[in-house]
Amino acid sequence: MSSFKSKVKKIKALSPDIEVTEERGCIVLRGEVDNWETVVKAGRLAVDRKKYYGVINDIQLKGYQPKEKLPSEKDKLYDGARPDVLIIGGGLTGCAAARELSRYRLDIMLVEKGADVAAGQSSRNGGAVHVGINYSPSSQKNYFNYRGNIMYSRLEKELDFPFERTGHLMLIGAKWEKILPKLLVMNSKRLHIPGVRYLNREQLLKIEPYAPSWAYGALYMPTGGFTSPYKVNVALAENAVTNGAKICLNTAVLDMETKDGKIYSVKTNRGTIYPKLVINAAGVYADVIAEMAGDRTFTIHPRKGTDIILDKKVGKYIRTTEVKSPITVLGDGKKLGAAERIKMIKFALSHENTSKGIAVIHTVDKNMIVGPDVQEIPDREDVTTDRETTDRILREQMQVAEKIKPSDVIAYFAGVRAPTYEEDFQVRKGIFCKNILEAAGIQSPGATAAPAIGVKLARWAVDYLKETGPVERNRAFNPRRKGTPHLASLSEKERDALIKKNPDYGEIVCRCEEISKGEILDVLRSPLPVYTLDAVKRRCRPGMGRCQGGFCSPLVVQILAKEWGCSVEDIKKNTKESRILFRRTKEAGK
Amino acid sequence: MRYDVTVIGGGPAGLAAALAADKEGAKVLLIERERKLGGILKQCIHDGFGLMTFGEKLSGPEYSERFIDKVLASGIEKKLLTFVTKIKKVKNEFVIYYVNREGAGHIRTKALVLATGCRERTAKQVFIHGTRPSGIYTAGTAQYYVNLMGEMPVKRCVILGSGDIGLIMARRLTLEGAEVLGVYEAKPTPSGLTRNIHQCLRDFDIPLYLSHTVTRVFGDDRLTGVEVMKVDENMEPIPGTEERIECDGLILSVGLIPENELAESLDVPIDERTRGPVCDQEYMSEAEGIFCAGNALHVNDLVDYVTENAWAAGKNSAHYEKKERILISVLPGEGTSYVVPERLNLSAPLNNVTMYFRSAREMRNAKLKIKIDGKTVFEKKYQVVRPPEMERLQIDFSGFSIRKNQTVKIILEEA
Repeated sequence: MSSFKSKVKKIKALSPDIEVTEERGCIVLRGEVDNWETVVKAGRLAVDRKKYYGVINDIQLKGYQPKEKLPSEKDKLYDGARPDVLIIGGGLTGCAAARELSRYRLDIMLVEKGADVAAGQSSRNGGAVHVGINYSPSSQKNYFNYRGNIMYSRLEKELDFPFERTGHLMLIGAKWEKILPKLLVMNSKRLHIPGVRYLNREQLLKIEPYAPSWAYGALYMPTGGFTSPYKVNVALAENAVTNGAKICLNTAVLDMETKDGKIYSVKTNRGTIYPKLVINAAGVYADVIAEMAGDRTFTIHPRKGTDIILDKKVGKYIRTTEVKSPITVLGDGKKLGAAERIKMIKFALSHENTSKGIAVIHTVDKNMIVGPDVQEIPDREDVTTDRETTDRILREQMQVAEKIKPSDVIAYFAGVRAPTYEEDFQVRKGIFCKNILEAAGIQSPGATAAPAIGVKLARWAVDYLKETGPVERNRAFNPRRKGTPHLASLSEKERDALIKKNPDYGEIVCRCEEISKGEILDVLRSPLPVYTLDAVKRRCRPGMGRCQGGFCSPLVVQILAKEWGCSVEDIKKNTKESRILFRRTKEAGK
Repeated sequence: MRYDVTVIGGGPAGLAAALAADKEGAKVLLIERERKLGGILKQCIHDGFGLMTFGEKLSGPEYSERFIDKVLASGIEKKLLTFVTKIKKVKNEFVIYYVNREGAGHIRTKALVLATGCRERTAKQVFIHGTRPSGIYTAGTAQYYVNLMGEMPVKRCVILGSGDIGLIMARRLTLEGAEVLGVYEAKPTPSGLTRNIHQCLRDFDIPLYLSHTVTRVFGDDRLTGVEVMKVDENMEPIPGTEERIECDGLILSVGLIPENELAESLDVPIDERTRGPVCDQEYMSEAEGIFCAGNALHVNDLVDYVTENAWAAGKNSAHYEKKERILISVLPGEGTSYVVPERLNLSAPLNNVTMYFRSAREMRNAKLKIKIDGKTVFEKKYQVVRPPEMERLQIDFSGFSIRKNQTVKIILEEA
């Protein structure tokens, strides 16, 4: 039986209502089923990386109506724009591409439907900068993660964002489990990842003094680190803007017009744009955008994850990033048979193992993050959290971070990853459309890989544009972006000197995170202007501490209103509809 | 600069502590992070403050005004709009680092009074899930918007928690023309004072739903609704009781947490029950020279108690000299949820000890017993005790010949 026939058989066994065809080098699934699990299973079964470009899974879920959140702005602000490159998506990938392209004298336009950059996955992840130890050598994940990880050392200096290369740890619980770290050490050599080694408990405790009591040893990966993904995102965006790129927020791509295998125009809520080239960095909507361009060969299946943020008080219990090895089973003194052990090791090493498991991460702000979990969902924008999930994550992770308690939780959030069924990145030139570059399927380790993906996309874009005319280097390109100062981390003397120059640095607005009015004003006056409470919060943290903005949000609202010369009622949390205040009180109105 | 006493926090506790220390002749510095003195009272424009202290019903600003006027007339030094960033103990002194619009600096002080108040518990701390829209405010934040900025944060809202600020805000928002659909309380009894239940809810026909909680919020931009559920005796939601309420605001009044980040940075032991520093009858914490007052010590329900305890803390801080203390424990026993002070210093006067405590549950005809190593030394009857209403008691411990290593326990029994 041919591989196609055998796939059809397996998929039909899931549900006879699914129709399987081969079209334009893709395997296409259609039909309607009554649970999402079947949709995802069918998509997975259809994968054949050698034979097809990818899986187009259009199976519908009965009774489910996808609803995309669109910005309410409707105007002609960008109508008729003719950029050389139109980047769709202001996440890490899109902004990295914008920055790389701004090294050239090009008209670069980035559209983002959210009210700020880093609106999706890029702000909704734990911030680990990954080592990339278990990727297949031929995968794009391996290619871009390896390069991106190295780039972080340079970018940190150029763009002035927080990054620490503390190393990552994978903990094991028993002697027999040493086999997994040993195999991974061998793999690391094959992938040229330096320094990976096994640590016994004693060595482990030197690196991570609060390692859990059950930890027998650990795989140590010194090139791992952590960063603040949205700060990286903002830094890339600001640097791109400084070097001439244009970032258009609250701007969503609604449709495209194609002619002769090329995108002719792109319709947005703020007018129609006529780009020479389009970069698709649309995250969870990457397949929708590719479809508009007639270039779709893949399907994004939304995979939600929830993260929990714990108080700084427990931040000291983690210095690196720790995960429990996938073969470590805790509790009950459970004895595994040899066959079970082999099965687990095989799974741990296989590339099917798409999730790295829930991690305990030290953050750049000295909190602790635990998460994320994995949930396949139909809704691309479902970032709701639920009690059951946070309880489960906390329960599980209290085994790894033994010192934490539920009362240490200060916040939780969810994000939606954008994997393809092939589970690899789809960074490529257009196949069926000449003037599009795809950057799709960017899930973990996307934050690590994004800078390298940006380089690749920019190179391809320049090559493409050179076909129709000369592309000059931007001689004025400045790779450096200075972040706004963080006074709490300075010495008394340095702080005093800054306050003497600008007294606003001496007026504390956010008591939990010790953020001054001056620091907030700096953020408002940065190259990518900031108008919303959430955008301020992301950039300099007022509202991220233990009071969650109770004390400072009215103050920040007033600072924003004064700076922009508007009423406090015009200041929003994020979108136009996310009002904070409605009207004056009776007395105040009179 | 060197001071005898430095008071951190210029709310009612800090004002009283500074005045008391000044009256005793100490050289006092008062540090306040906001532009104006008065603390949270600035936004408490309702009346009911000062019945015990002044025998009249004042508004929050009026109450604090009386202390601020005295502070201004005194020799107390003030640093306003000044934020303490760090405190270090150096030998027998504390070095207090601060920033303000003039710069970053530090001062030295012999004794320290922490009068840093409390903060509100947040939506995340009571495990509200769902989306992250605008329109969710703690009661204190809503109060700031309405009373200090003259702005309405809601049109139609639900209040979660029957704490006093929540009740006050239910009335305030109603008066300003907002619709308050109800107050939901997870506990089977209200958390706020009885007088507030009457004056803020019943008088305005605002329903109070006990044993109910908000479990979820809806809305992508602004809040569009909340899900409320009934809860069981363990305050866990009962499946099947979900009800969706359309509203644009959720106000939270789900408890206050003493702000003791500075105390913790100095390794001052904290009482898990009060979440304030463990202290003796002079309101000195277990760390020498660090006194504590007001809501940072434990959450009070009346400002008058804050003033009383802060006055004593300030007075004692002025006379602080390092000398050996013999500390014994005072523990909340059966029927009580906490007691302040948590220690008695046998080397200090024991004849007039003020004790603050709360009952663990509502009890009628309750009998309070004070036991020393199991032996009852004092008894008092109460018609009714309720957890939201703190009890205060003055006791002469000097006649009980308490010895080192003994333990004092207070117990509440239903008769």
